[in-house]
Amino acid sequence: MASFARSSLLRQTLAAPRSPFCKNVGVSQTVAFHASAKKQILPPLPQSVQGTMNDPTPVPEAHPTHGSYHWSFERLVSVGLIPLTFAPFAAGSLNPVMDAVLCSLIVAHSHIGFQAAIVDYFPPHRVPKFRSLCNWLLRAFTLTTAVGLYEFETNDVGITEALRRIWTA
Amino acid sequence: MASLRTTSRLLAASRPMFRPAFARTYATVEPTPSEQPKMKTFKVYRWNPDQPSEKPQMAAYDLDLNKTGPMMLDALIRIKNELDPTLTFRRSCREGICGSCAMNIDGVNTLACLCRIPTDTKSESRIYPLPHTYVVKDLVPDLTHFYKQYKSIKPYLQRDTPTEDGLEFRQSPEDRKKLDGLYECILCACCSTSCPSYWWNSEEYLGPAILLQSFRWLADSRDEKTLERKAALDNSMSVYRCHTILNCTRTCPKGLNPGRAIAEVKKMLAV
Repeated sequence: MASFARSSLLRQTLAAPRSPFCKNVGVSQTVAFHASAKKQILPPLPQSVQGTMNDPTPVPEAHPTHGSYHWSFERLVSVGLIPLTFAPFAAGSLNPVMDAVLCSLIVAHSHIGFQAAIVDYFPPHRVPKFRSLCNWLLRAFTLTTAVGLYEFETNDVGITEALRRIWTA
Repeated sequence: MASLRTTSRLLAASRPMFRPAFARTYATVEPTPSEQPKMKTFKVYRWNPDQPSEKPQMAAYDLDLNKTGPMMLDALIRIKNELDPTLTFRRSCREGICGSCAMNIDGVNTLACLCRIPTDTKSESRIYPLPHTYVVKDLVPDLTHFYKQYKSIKPYLQRDTPTEDGLEFRQSPEDRKKLDGLYECILCACCSTSCPSYWWNSEEYLGPAILLQSFRWLADSRDEKTLERKAALDNSMSVYRCHTILNCTRTCPKGLNPGRAIAEVKKMLAV
């Protein structure tokens, strides 16, 4: 717990061998543990134990839309993207329906992927405001991407044809 | 038990007394006189809670491998016996069944008693406590939260209906076979503390060890609370922070496969 009571002064004066271990027989040297940066991103908080030692951690409520349904949907999208990426080129035909499905799956897939990163790295109990900012930014980017792809599909050649042209350029 | 102790004491008395009094027992090797000493450096993480303002340090100890047993735990016990009695670590069974001596040795979470000392004397061995844990002292991590999480999955048989004959709950050999690879887990926390997802989200994510135990009770044919167990896991944090990094499977000192168990949990929840 107290390992977090670090000060910059201590860090600077660490080189001096003040450790009681140094006096012991067999300890040939002690070295500074690590030269970590002074400014850490989300440094670990001091340890806190909820309840007594013998209480179990609280069991969260069941939210299948964030749990099993979400996971199944994500896997279906990921698996679905594999054939959809090859199919238009294999078939050799430009199909607007196929393009529309591919575009919507790409948007959904990247939204879920970035969302997972936000959930992983920005815990709501540490950075609640930054987390919601990230979520809104992600929604904005997803919407922009979706609108952009729609415009590209309706007013231009569409991503499949664009990829084909870049490939053969 | 008493008779066994007397026998062992008699045996000990007949041996030459090369060990100091009150020494902890460890495997030693009688050196042959012609052999050159094989000195190897062990760097051990040291942090003392009595001096909280001191930063953690790496202390170096030199041991002659000819006089040391083959395992890392032998080396640690020898350091504690002969070089530095203040070195603190947990150990109990010295045969990989209690899970006490879990630590990070040369960058891999493992049990010190199951980890051979690399015979290359040129390179040093570095020993740290389990990564991303709160350290109590030196190599002793605080596993309170880990045990609390284990308790939260109710790791015991839950069943309301008694058997017809009122005897024990029996299982077919096939159903018993489903528990192989799960019941062997000794909860040493090597896998959980090697998991980056568990490093970032240990407050809510259960981690590979606890999820393997969850699956052990989900897979048990005698347990009747499967639905409740599944509902307790069906949220965004408990299971689904697993991104199949598979550090857990790679590091498990017992050779189990927590990654596969989590995949089975996800499959059970999905259908």
